[in-house]
Amino acid sequence: MSRFGRIATEASAAARSFLRRRTAVFFTFFFPVILVMIFGALVQTQPTGGGLFAEPAGYYIPGYLAVVVLFTPLSRVGSEIARHRDGGRFEKLATTPLSRAEWLLAHTLVNVAIIGAASLLILGLVLVVTDAEPVVSPALAALPVFVAVAVALFCGLGALLGALADSQDGVIAASNTVALPLLFLSETFVSPGLLPEWFLPAVAASPLTYFARGTRAIIYEPGPWIGDLAVLSVLAVAFLAFGAYAVPRTD
Amino acid sequence: MNETAAASASAADGGEPDREADATDSAGGPDPVVVGEGVRKSYGEVVALDGVDLRVEPGEVFGLIGPNGAGKTTLVRALTGTTEAEGDLRVFGAPPDEVDPQRVGLLPQSFDPPERLTAAELVDYYGGLYDAARDTEPVLRDVGMADDADAWYEKLSGGQKRRTCVATAIVNDPDLLFLDEPTTGIDPAGRRSIHRLIERLAGDGTTVFLTSHAMDEVERLADRVALLRDGAVVAVGAPDALIAEHGGEPSLEVALDGPASEADVESVRGAVRGALSVGAEEGGAEGGADASGSEDASAVESTREGLRIGGVRPEGIGTAVDALEAAGVAFESLAWSEPSLEDVYLRLTGEEYSPRSEGPDGVTRGGGDR
Repeated sequence: MSRFGRIATEASAAARSFLRRRTAVFFTFFFPVILVMIFGALVQTQPTGGGLFAEPAGYYIPGYLAVVVLFTPLSRVGSEIARHRDGGRFEKLATTPLSRAEWLLAHTLVNVAIIGAASLLILGLVLVVTDAEPVVSPALAALPVFVAVAVALFCGLGALLGALADSQDGVIAASNTVALPLLFLSETFVSPGLLPEWFLPAVAASPLTYFARGTRAIIYEPGPWIGDLAVLSVLAVAFLAFGAYAVPRTD
Repeated sequence: MNETAAASASAADGGEPDREADATDSAGGPDPVVVGEGVRKSYGEVVALDGVDLRVEPGEVFGLIGPNGAGKTTLVRALTGTTEAEGDLRVFGAPPDEVDPQRVGLLPQSFDPPERLTAAELVDYYGGLYDAARDTEPVLRDVGMADDADAWYEKLSGGQKRRTCVATAIVNDPDLLFLDEPTTGIDPAGRRSIHRLIERLAGDGTTVFLTSHAMDEVERLADRVALLRDGAVVAVGAPDALIAEHGGEPSLEVALDGPASEADVESVRGAVRGALSVGAEEGGAEGGADASGSEDASAVESTREGLRIGGVRPEGIGTAVDALEAAGVAFESLAWSEPSLEDVYLRLTGEEYSPRSEGPDGVTRGGGDR
């Protein structure tokens, strides 16, 4: 079996296993929907005073996308690693030709597909329930690339968390601890102007910032985005490499 | 199966392997599949493996037994490259983590495969990871799961799950198969099918490394057995040889209407000694011992059901019965048993426990150590 074949086999089994867990599938898609409904439809954007948000609705599209791009891979890959470890699956896989990098790549592909679908759902919902008006341009074709690259990045980070945490509970706690500040401090829902100047380097250090900036430059405020995609891509490769190395093989 | 497989392992007591014979036997023969010398593994201050030496020959079914925590699973992990251990460890002549995975199959002791997949999908999945794999259907047939191929794994019974897991270990048609407690939770019929499978695989040349707590299973299947205690091999050899050396004597269980009193035991002891000694003279027992084979009468002991006379060989049963009658002991039934691998295990692990020697009041009577 070729490397491609092994990755396809692993991805196929992982996708089938996930799609048959109805509760997991439901909440994977329901969580961002709730968020969009609460913030986009109930709270709404009231830039002239009142309301939670200070920017037009379109500004927050990257934030809504970031919810699934960030949370889902972190918790899914981290939990999957914990489940694999608890079930002796890595011990078994270590005696097969499937490498750790191939395993992570396969699960990343599954996440890209799932989160790609969730992103489409979010995008549609945002357009329906808010007055956001996305910019339609050829650059829109790069939006799925941003999503895919960011998902890969956070799959790598999820693998690191899964390897470091010693249980599924630990993974969930760790991924929430990492994801929550990243979500709100990466130019997603909180614009840099609302943050103290000394904190801005931290914003720049967040990988999610480049996702937010790039996707915003594509869909809301046309501007250069190649640089953001490049940074995101480099980080994705690095995190995937570290994540693959961290995937357990031995006890 | 390879009956001529050379025994080799460090042993702390009577199970001392014949290292010289090992070297002689292996000279010019096929390379061993597994060689371990001075294998050590510690988890912090806990020593899991303490200088294990072992050698497994091609086509051999090698049984590994030992108490919980003796280091069996750690040794399997070391051999499959899923844990790092000190010492020289080679599988097919290479370090375990460099072995061609196509040649190795593993059933981990604790294994819970991905959920929401059917038995067939699981076998497909693991088969799909190899360069070459057997078709799923015959593999499932081999483990008696063909009729439940389309059932989700988590809906299967414990035994069916385990059999499905065994299927995932043989799907790549390995040359070396590690089975860590393969029949745990499997009903007798299922166990039989796994036993037949192991016998067939070994017959076809697969080397099987089997760990189990089911002594009858190991005794039946293994060409050689190593007994691990506290991380060290304390005995290794063919089951028959181990039983002959460490299993003790055959015994006669005498069922009374309850545990025998001390007076009864003494009375029977005396009668048995006299009768069997006479029998020995008449029967010309070898070695100068009585027909029971016991050197003294201390082998008579009270048990929960009655009493037990140790060292009674088949030809001494009639004499023992005469002795019981002479002592005025009315018995309900007799059961004669040969020593087994379980006796070897209990004796060498120091875990010997004989509930039959315990009276209803919990007081142990008679000799506990056989």
